[in-house]
Amino acid sequence: MSAPTALPVREASVPAARPGPAAQAGRTPGGPSVVVRSPRRHAGSRAGFRPSVLGRVLSIVGLVGALVPPLYLVSVSLMGRDETVAGVLVPASPRWENYATVLGDSELPLAVGVSVLVAVLAALISLAGGLAAAWSIARLGLLSGRGVGVLLSPWLLPPVVAVVPLFLLLRLSGLLNTIPGLVLVYALVNLPVVLWLLLSFVAKVPSELIEAARLDGAGEWRILRSVGLPLLAPALVAVGLIVGLQNYHEFLLATFLTQGPESRTAPVVLSLFYGDRIPHVGRIAAAGVITALPPVLAALLLQRRLVSGLTHGASR
Amino acid sequence: MADTLESAARREAAPAASPQGPTARGRQGGRARPALAPGTSGVRRFGRFLLIPAVLGWLLIGVIPLLFIAANSFFESTLGKPLRRWAGLENYQEALGDPDAVAAIVRTAAYAVGVTAASVALGLILALAVHSAWRRPSALRAALLLPLFIPPVVVGVLFKQVFNPEGGLLAVLAKAVGLPAPGVLSSTDTALLGIAAADVWEWTPLVFLLVLAALLALDSSVLEAARLDGARGLSLFRGVLWPAIAAAVAAAALIRLVLAFKVFDLVSVMTSGGPGQSTTVASYLIHRVALREFDLGRASVLTLALAIVVTLVTAPLLALNARANRLEEEPA
Repeated sequence: MSAPTALPVREASVPAARPGPAAQAGRTPGGPSVVVRSPRRHAGSRAGFRPSVLGRVLSIVGLVGALVPPLYLVSVSLMGRDETVAGVLVPASPRWENYATVLGDSELPLAVGVSVLVAVLAALISLAGGLAAAWSIARLGLLSGRGVGVLLSPWLLPPVVAVVPLFLLLRLSGLLNTIPGLVLVYALVNLPVVLWLLLSFVAKVPSELIEAARLDGAGEWRILRSVGLPLLAPALVAVGLIVGLQNYHEFLLATFLTQGPESRTAPVVLSLFYGDRIPHVGRIAAAGVITALPPVLAALLLQRRLVSGLTHGASR
Repeated sequence: MADTLESAARREAAPAASPQGPTARGRQGGRARPALAPGTSGVRRFGRFLLIPAVLGWLLIGVIPLLFIAANSFFESTLGKPLRRWAGLENYQEALGDPDAVAAIVRTAAYAVGVTAASVALGLILALAVHSAWRRPSALRAALLLPLFIPPVVVGVLFKQVFNPEGGLLAVLAKAVGLPAPGVLSSTDTALLGIAAADVWEWTPLVFLLVLAALLALDSSVLEAARLDGARGLSLFRGVLWPAIAAAVAAAALIRLVLAFKVFDLVSVMTSGGPGQSTTVASYLIHRVALREFDLGRASVLTLALAIVVTLVTAPLLALNARANRLEEEPA
């Protein structure tokens, strides 16, 4: 990164803010796709690879550590009251009625629907705003590196900083305890994350394509829509999924900003299960499994997209 | 390769609340970077138009809340009536003179640093282990990422039951080896450790993922050459692996630290800040003061204090990321 520019060195070498020589030259010549292929490409070519025994042991320990707790939760979700206190690991006969009770007699099914809706809508808005900003910064040369840093800085602070002001803003605008209000808040909170993750992808859009479109007389808006958008579609799916998961997981803002049953999200409703006089651990676990199902399924289905979005967006 | 995090981090090393507006910077930045787009006024106008949502979000989520909180810290304020009566430094005296409040903020910083260190260490070890043991680790990687996708509230529910002294997973395991069941979450000594365990479990996979990606991007011929030269174990790590992953580790540590400061959901579900004050982290305390005690003035002082502590604790990692990035950009 040694492109001579008029800027001070510190800012001149910010690579994500504009496509430097490495960003342009480093792209695969095979095609214009912006998403770098999954790292397994490298893994496949690891000739002469000899597996380490210690590595295998540690990996398996890690695997057990990652999988046993969720499996335990599923197991507890099928236990009756007596079994959860008796210290059994697997119920003698699965109590499916825990799930029936949660699905039939609680707000949770509605709340899962609300959560999915809010997560998807807010992610779409964040994507639109974040893509626009990333395009403006990385392709049109708006904002210096420091300006981008300032724009991203709200993400560094814990959300509790913004919670009371947002509460009052939403109350003023009549959006408190409504789904549109929560969608708007999530969309704005995660816009910096989208911008940050998308910058490197936008910077990798080949300049030749954009120059060619310009020479053909395409307007800036047209270039973004017809050149940028199709090339960035895979990255948008990846980043959208990451942000959608964040939205679905969010608890602090949701518990503040949605008090009524018709706008509560799944994590909020799940936390309310402990309000019962004698909490039924089996039922709470079933509610937890139901709450976790949509994001886990979405992540598993789009696993490779997600990994590429995280690894190439968040570092390289 | 565009190296977003490090460069973003570097940019963030600039003081967060800059007095100059983004438009002024935009003009300046644009002038210095003519190589990209023809600097016609039409293009610049379009670029500025595209920035509107992001700037609006920055104002609504970042600037306005901070100004509002700064203002409220000098007033007697409630949720119903913010800015009710000028209070001077009363809120500051009350909030910062309260040993429990100061302890909560110190606790939060210690928690964030500890959880980050544990996650980075475990994620690094796991990435090195997986990289050294499997030629194609993608299936294993998929399974190891599972904790990332489970909502934190569910993770809280899960670990609350794991630590339940009456029939929880840990109690069963303790009984199997003949130990008494530990009441992890009901003792002031261990409750925060219990929450930290859940937090580390949830987010270690992110560190693992980023470090593994850096390891897999390492050219296999380099690795092979080093092995042929007799590099093994520690020398291989120091000479070949660490230089390749140092930037990714620094980036992962920064993300992890920022996330650790945000902890709220796990505390809310697992302990509600107790027993005593032992798990009352700053977010939880501010939440309680603002929404249970309705004392917005005091909550504002605590929020400012938290913001300052977060900035101070994060600054070294931001600087480290900036340096890692600079080193990498220098021509070899």
